[in-house]
Amino acid sequence: MAILSLYILNKSGGLVYQRDFTEKLNKLSANDYLVLAGTFHGIHVIASKISPVSHSSGIKSIDSSTFSLHCLQTPTGIKFLLVTDPGQSNAHLLLSKIYQLYADYVMKNPFHQLEMPIRSDQFNRQLTIYASST
Amino acid sequence: MTSKPLKAVGEEVWKTKIDKVNAELVALTYGSLVAQLCRDFENNYDRVNEQLDKMGYNIGLRLIEDFLARSGIGRCSSFKDTAEVISKVGFKMFLNVVPRVSNWSADGKTFSLYIDDNPLADFVELPPQSENLWYSNIYCGVLRGALEMTQMQVHAEFVSDVLQGHAATEIKVQLLQILKDEIPAAEE
Amino acid sequence: MTSIYNRSLHRRSGDVSLSLFALLFAETVAYSQKHVKGVNELEERLNSLGYSVGYRMSELVMLREGKNGVRSIEILELMRDVHQNLWKALYGRSAHSLEKSRSEEDEYMIIDNNPIELTFISVPKDISQLSCAAFTAGIVEAALDGAQFPARVTAHSSGTDQFPQRTIYLVKFEPQVVEREASK
Repeated sequence: MAILSLYILNKSGGLVYQRDFTEKLNKLSANDYLVLAGTFHGIHVIASKISPVSHSSGIKSIDSSTFSLHCLQTPTGIKFLLVTDPGQSNAHLLLSKIYQLYADYVMKNPFHQLEMPIRSDQFNRQLTIYASST
Repeated sequence: MTSKPLKAVGEEVWKTKIDKVNAELVALTYGSLVAQLCRDFENNYDRVNEQLDKMGYNIGLRLIEDFLARSGIGRCSSFKDTAEVISKVGFKMFLNVVPRVSNWSADGKTFSLYIDDNPLADFVELPPQSENLWYSNIYCGVLRGALEMTQMQVHAEFVSDVLQGHAATEIKVQLLQILKDEIPAAEE
Repeated sequence: MTSIYNRSLHRRSGDVSLSLFALLFAETVAYSQKHVKGVNELEERLNSLGYSVGYRMSELVMLREGKNGVRSIEILELMRDVHQNLWKALYGRSAHSLEKSRSEEDEYMIIDNNPIELTFISVPKDISQLSCAAFTAGIVEAALDGAQFPARVTAHSSGTDQFPQRTIYLVKFEPQVVEREASK
């Protein structure tokens, strides 16, 4: 399974979805996840501003020896953060598919309030199915 | 922007990425909703128009993600580009129609969409004395909501509608301002 | 000037995207929620919206069957017609099964494993008894009323692991329909 964990941040950098897809990750407290998300949001803004290249797209991925973090920011300001094993080459495809699942099972759910935490059963289920296929 | 012509992009998305439903089901469902609103507002058509716009706005805020996720189209370089994307990709992938973009203002901030075969208007005949009802006003709201989520504040309104006996179905879209403060970091 | 009366009703209008239907339906549910108190009222409102659709769609289906179209005179015949032809006209396929209640003379069930209006909906746990498929239930109710077999139709979630959105449409016919059937 290529997807280790997924974070979704709303436009203001608030964490609306966090899920681990494997047991081997350390569990953090709910608050820690919120701080992690907010921190990334801040770093993302800073990175784009200090970039020596104009029109920089900000942080696309962070690589380390133990994991890789990939970021998809939509033109609407939503960020999808994907944690994978190092060297995952098709992360952009995975993120693309996850964005589609979000557009379907979160956006089309009348019981989901925009910018609020995601609590859509079908989204969870479809992610499970997709993650196990990767 | 994409190197492929927009018309081809729109057609490919429609053919390969879109699950389809019977247009009649949607037309009848929409008609049922409009009729319900007319009852709720006791045939005060100004308020029905307003409500349709509001509902369209709520839809637009969500529809934009589906549009972006499925079309793969990124930020537009100009408002003229935006208009072409809306008609050739946006309308195409949701409604399978491609409205004509025309009637540009000199400052490039206003254009019109002409819809030739409005799928929502199938089977519809408006009740008597409903001259100020814009039956498909939901489109205006959808445009407003979807564009706002990509930092363009627009005003969209119906100019004419064949359902009202006019020669054409025309929506005017005007760019009011770019919401610079809301552009996500790294998109400037 | 062409009016809708000039247009042929036999021309099928083609397709639009499921996304559009889903987004329109979701907003309809959200709007309805603001005007009702509780699950039952919400379902009634959705039923009534569906009723309006069903009333028109069943007439269209009948018209298009043309010379082959025959008004059903028996309950089972009608139920089969709904289960297959009405479903096909609306959703491009027939429903998944049709059952008659073993205990109640006036009850039948149509089962759909994935009702189209539920495709993307996740009902919160605190209102888990809500079925937005009340919309299709309304469509069926109108079709039955229109065929002179008045009934009350309700939608009930009956999800399985394989088909989490599986829904049972419970059709309860009015007493006069059952009496009429029995007298044949």
